[in-house]
Amino acid sequence: MTDLPAPRAVPTVDPDRDDVRAAQADRAAFGALYRRYLDRVYGYAFYLLGDHHDAEDATERTFLAALGAIERFRDEGATFRSWLFTIAHNQIANALRSRARRRTAPLDGVPEPVADVDPGREAGAAEDARRVRSALAELSEDRRQVVVLRFVDGLSAREIGAVLGRSEGAVRVLQHRALRELSGILGVED
Amino acid sequence: MQQIPSVAERLDRALEQMGAGARPAVAAATAGLDEDGRALVELADRVRSAHLMPAVAPRFEARLGARLSDAATPRDAMAWALRHPGRLIVTGAVGSAVGVGVTAYAVWRSSRRTHSGRILHR
Repeated sequence: MTDLPAPRAVPTVDPDRDDVRAAQADRAAFGALYRRYLDRVYGYAFYLLGDHHDAEDATERTFLAALGAIERFRDEGATFRSWLFTIAHNQIANALRSRARRRTAPLDGVPEPVADVDPGREAGAAEDARRVRSALAELSEDRRQVVVLRFVDGLSAREIGAVLGRSEGAVRVLQHRALRELSGILGVED
Repeated sequence: MQQIPSVAERLDRALEQMGAGARPAVAAATAGLDEDGRALVELADRVRSAHLMPAVAPRFEARLGARLSDAATPRDAMAWALRHPGRLIVTGAVGSAVGVGVTAYAVWRSSRRTHSGRILHR
């Protein structure tokens, strides 16, 4: 059997702890957390809602709610970012519920990968990216959530579990199934 | 006896390593994944490349920053109270109690001063 490396220890100290404490003492210090997480919360909302306007709305609600509740946040097991993304998750779920129909149109205004100086290869990379995003839209909502939180926002399985209210093991299984399903949609020849 | 990690666990380890900068093939091999697992790690790399962080509109960033800054100021306490009638009653009651206390203290101080002044002027 292959000798496996020890699993990466999940940091027990929240990397945002000092900034969170500063914001709890003085809400004006919340700006540091806002600047650090604005892009990521927005990216999470954008890839799940598929629209810049809706993503802005969910992002705004998320940060206003987080600021309003920052005094109540306690870093007991959950990191600040998993708490923040839980708020974002709830805002996105509300937005999806309030829609009359689920958006199936391709995303507009998505940054395309710039892989090469060769225009032909760059166009190929952009086309591949569109295919992958289109395949992702076919997954169930919980699998899409896991993929976006993992690959766009870089959250760990443990943090995603905290956001979605699932165990770390359940998130790993969802992630595995999501990638297998994507593989099937995109075709093995890729 | 040591339990063999499941494919989902090994895949997760490989993704952790890839997130830390390892190339997909190296991450898959280090995590002990077979050819199928390696293909999934490579697919994960494609998924990541296809989902670059979208740019936040500067106007939106500035507007939300201003709203947060506004909400972080002390006058937000009044807005907090005004949102719910119950809070307004509590805030009013506390405010009144403080007001009555301060007034009573001022009257008491003033009467003491007057009384002691009378004694001195006698």
